[in-house]
Amino acid sequence: MRLPIDARNRALRGRVRRHFEQHPRRGLLVAFEGPDGSGKTTQRKLFKTWLVAEGYDVVTTKWNSSDLIKPIIKGRKAARALSPEEFSLLHVADFRCRMDAEVLPALWEGKIVIADRFLFTGLARDAARGLEFDHVLKLYQPLVWPDMVFYFSVSPTTSRTRVAADRVPNFYEAGQDVTDIVDPVESYQRFITRVIREYDSLSNIFNFTTVDAEQGIAEQHQRLRELFREAERRPWSSWNVDAFAEWIATGLPA
Amino acid sequence: MKRGRLIAIDGIDLRRVRTAAREAIHAIGASRAGVSHWDSSGVFHELALVRGVAAPRTLLVLYAADLAFRVRWEIAPAIAEGRTVVAAPYVATAMALGRAVGLPAPWMANLLRFAPRPTEARIAESDRASLTRAAGFVSVAYERWAEPAGVDSDALTREIARHLRPRRARR
Repeated sequence: MRLPIDARNRALRGRVRRHFEQHPRRGLLVAFEGPDGSGKTTQRKLFKTWLVAEGYDVVTTKWNSSDLIKPIIKGRKAARALSPEEFSLLHVADFRCRMDAEVLPALWEGKIVIADRFLFTGLARDAARGLEFDHVLKLYQPLVWPDMVFYFSVSPTTSRTRVAADRVPNFYEAGQDVTDIVDPVESYQRFITRVIREYDSLSNIFNFTTVDAEQGIAEQHQRLRELFREAERRPWSSWNVDAFAEWIATGLPA
Repeated sequence: MKRGRLIAIDGIDLRRVRTAAREAIHAIGASRAGVSHWDSSGVFHELALVRGVAAPRTLLVLYAADLAFRVRWEIAPAIAEGRTVVAAPYVATAMALGRAVGLPAPWMANLLRFAPRPTEARIAESDRASLTRAAGFVSVAYERWAEPAGVDSDALTREIARHLRPRRARR
């Protein structure tokens, strides 16, 4: 007997291609990326409200939110028990769970998925923790490329000022596991500088759409609407065939 | 200081793997060796508290997260102290599951690349019928993926057994 997972299966890949070419309204994946304090969650909510008002079927997925893995990560973060490798792997597991249960099924049904952080968050943070970029990128395979990545760009100082205005950054958010700086705010400034450097590199490599997050809220939102209108007319990206083929082959109920 | 030894014992049935580990420790001498058990980190114990399915790739990533914990706290320190550590199981069990379901070998090699190569690698033979009774990673894969996906447990066991081979030992 042949076990069902084989993303290279030709028939399965053909089924995926046909589905997306023939589906009357194809799914779209829109990722919101950026450091803490960049205002992306505010923009994500406004954007979703607008899309729903326009008649789109919209699903939201948030970083580190799967029912299965989130409790595992939460407990270890509270105990400050994670090495950079373990931190990375558990976030990959959370991401994979959400891809299989939320993102891929919704895209298959032609919905719009808004991801409040996507794999680029894992890449930026893990690289800032000293893990090799290629190693981390491979962990996320088979890759699913969003149709749009909105990168909310702010300076490290703006990010620190906005985050520290409300609360003290937590241990891992401040990168205290790798900076060895006792003061969380000072550690945050150091760590977020590294994270933003990684984000900027990712933005260049993967051609993110940069949104100047130091601008006003209404101005940013208007810009997102315009960018979305341009992007939704693009054809479906066949780069994502492997991920869908494996998801179907896995045979799990959505 | 003399470098320690890592003995990897893998297998489908965790009870057989544990028995083999105890025998290995007995043969070496309990004062000079210790065992690194599967799920020392408690990841799978906590997973058992939550309902839900998981694809094989996700389960392998969780296996790697647990192994990363074991390498950091149990395996690497023992080797650095010149002791012998028996890893029960180690990487071969996870690799066998991955191969059995068709996951790409380069992806698995990258996933488990942090795991040091064992000095010696063994397989604990198991009887196929024990799969659904035995605790352990293969049983987790059965409960979380194979059963909900309608994959026959005997077929899965046979495939894993076919792919179960020890990771090449360090020369």
